[in-house]
Amino acid sequence: MALIETKELSKVYILGNKKTVTALNRVTMNVEEGEIFGILGPNGSGKTTCLKLLLGIIFPTEGEISIMGKTQYSIAAKQNIGFLPENPYYYDYLTGPEILRFYGRLFDMTRSAIDERSENLLKLVNLDDARNLSLKHYSKGMLERIGLAVSLINDPKILILDEPTTGLDPIGCKETRDLLIRLNESGKTILLSSHFLSEVERVCSRIVIFHKGNLLTTGTLGKLLEEYRAENLEDLFVKAIEKFDKETGASEHGVE
Amino acid sequence: MKKSWIIALNTFNESLRKKTFYILLVVALVVIGASRFFSFLAAEDELKMIKDVSFSTIEFFGALIAIFTALAAVSGEIEKRTIYTLLSKPITRNNFIIGKLIGQSLIILLNVLLMSIFFIVLLFIKKSPPDVQEFKTIFLLFVELILVGSITLAVATFATDAFNLIFSFFLYIVGHLTSYGQQLLERTENFIVKRLGGLLYTTIPNYENFNIKDKVVVGVDVSWKYVGQTTLYGIIYITIAVLIGIYFFHKREV
Repeated sequence: MALIETKELSKVYILGNKKTVTALNRVTMNVEEGEIFGILGPNGSGKTTCLKLLLGIIFPTEGEISIMGKTQYSIAAKQNIGFLPENPYYYDYLTGPEILRFYGRLFDMTRSAIDERSENLLKLVNLDDARNLSLKHYSKGMLERIGLAVSLINDPKILILDEPTTGLDPIGCKETRDLLIRLNESGKTILLSSHFLSEVERVCSRIVIFHKGNLLTTGTLGKLLEEYRAENLEDLFVKAIEKFDKETGASEHGVE
Repeated sequence: MKKSWIIALNTFNESLRKKTFYILLVVALVVIGASRFFSFLAAEDELKMIKDVSFSTIEFFGALIAIFTALAAVSGEIEKRTIYTLLSKPITRNNFIIGKLIGQSLIILLNVLLMSIFFIVLLFIKKSPPDVQEFKTIFLLFVELILVGSITLAVATFATDAFNLIFSFFLYIVGHLTSYGQQLLERTENFIVKRLGGLLYTTIPNYENFNIKDKVVVGVDVSWKYVGQTTLYGIIYITIAVLIGIYFFHKREV
């Protein structure tokens, strides 16, 4: 069963001077229940645009989005989503437990449920010792970790993570990867955007590759490696992009 | 409504941590405090001076706080990108705008309360306890300040900070001059100017309606009926401003 579906999803930005940028071009994809689905692509390929569209933060120019059978603007759908933005920023005057309480209340959680969940999450992301520290004193890695805790406060069915390991040291990256696998094993469906190929290779069951707003290919890693006769994900990534550029003449795609 | 309230409390707490609030408040208190040094005036004139300066200070510094708080309420969330996380949660965009309005109104309330307490203490020192007319004046100023803030909040949903700042101050000044403008319009012969001026007069909120200090300072009583009608006038404009804000924020991509 697909928890997230997009049909012919497009996003075109109008720049002025009659110029437009196609940030996302007719993307049709689905994320099945229980999988870790990776969105891969170089910077500016449309990964974040796609996630913002899924969350209803920006609006599609064309196409449809369905999240658990509902629109992306549905409160009921959002009730089941946890989101970690790229380089997360939060109200920095709050401490870890306070920020979790703030977001928890937006999910209509009771105070005791929030407190109990916060305790577990702070331990899970190794921020238990920093509980009295306001977020303005957090390092980049700590912000990333509290962001992950915020995304889990409502015990969501779907986790949407935009570059979750940016700013983390190698140990932090490994811990996050292990955590994602554990969360997936506990039944969470994860949609992960990243340009770190090794990270995606290790955790994702299916991937999609974006380039200049276009969906180049999608499927399981094994199937795609075979299809592109690639040795590994890096090789596959390069071949998929080269093939697209060759077919389209490698012009400044998207800008019309 | 519960979610708007959660956003409101966060807006209030966040605004309380901004230095701008305290700087403006301290300067305002100093100005109010300084009014008591007009001891060279006759006792009655000195009291009038204290009231006049205090009411004007509450209004002007309140307007500054209202405008700056409203500016930070929307653009601050966008600049700091906290809005991404917020809008991904199960809240509507209506919750966001209404929450911001309530939050900034609480800040305005706190500011007006603190300045008013200082003013009242000053009156007690001068052995002239405030009567109900003084409270009516402060209440109408409070309604005016919420209106000033709600207009800035509405404009923040579609315009840049720089434009909003200029627009809000321009409107604040013009809104206090509409009565004079009406008098000028009555004298003009030009049809276009008359029509355009008439349109502006009916569209722009007349902030002078909220200003009863000139009467109260000289001892003229203002009726409860006037206070009620003016409050209703303010609520209508605040509602329109919020609806405009909601309309544009529903279209806003962040």
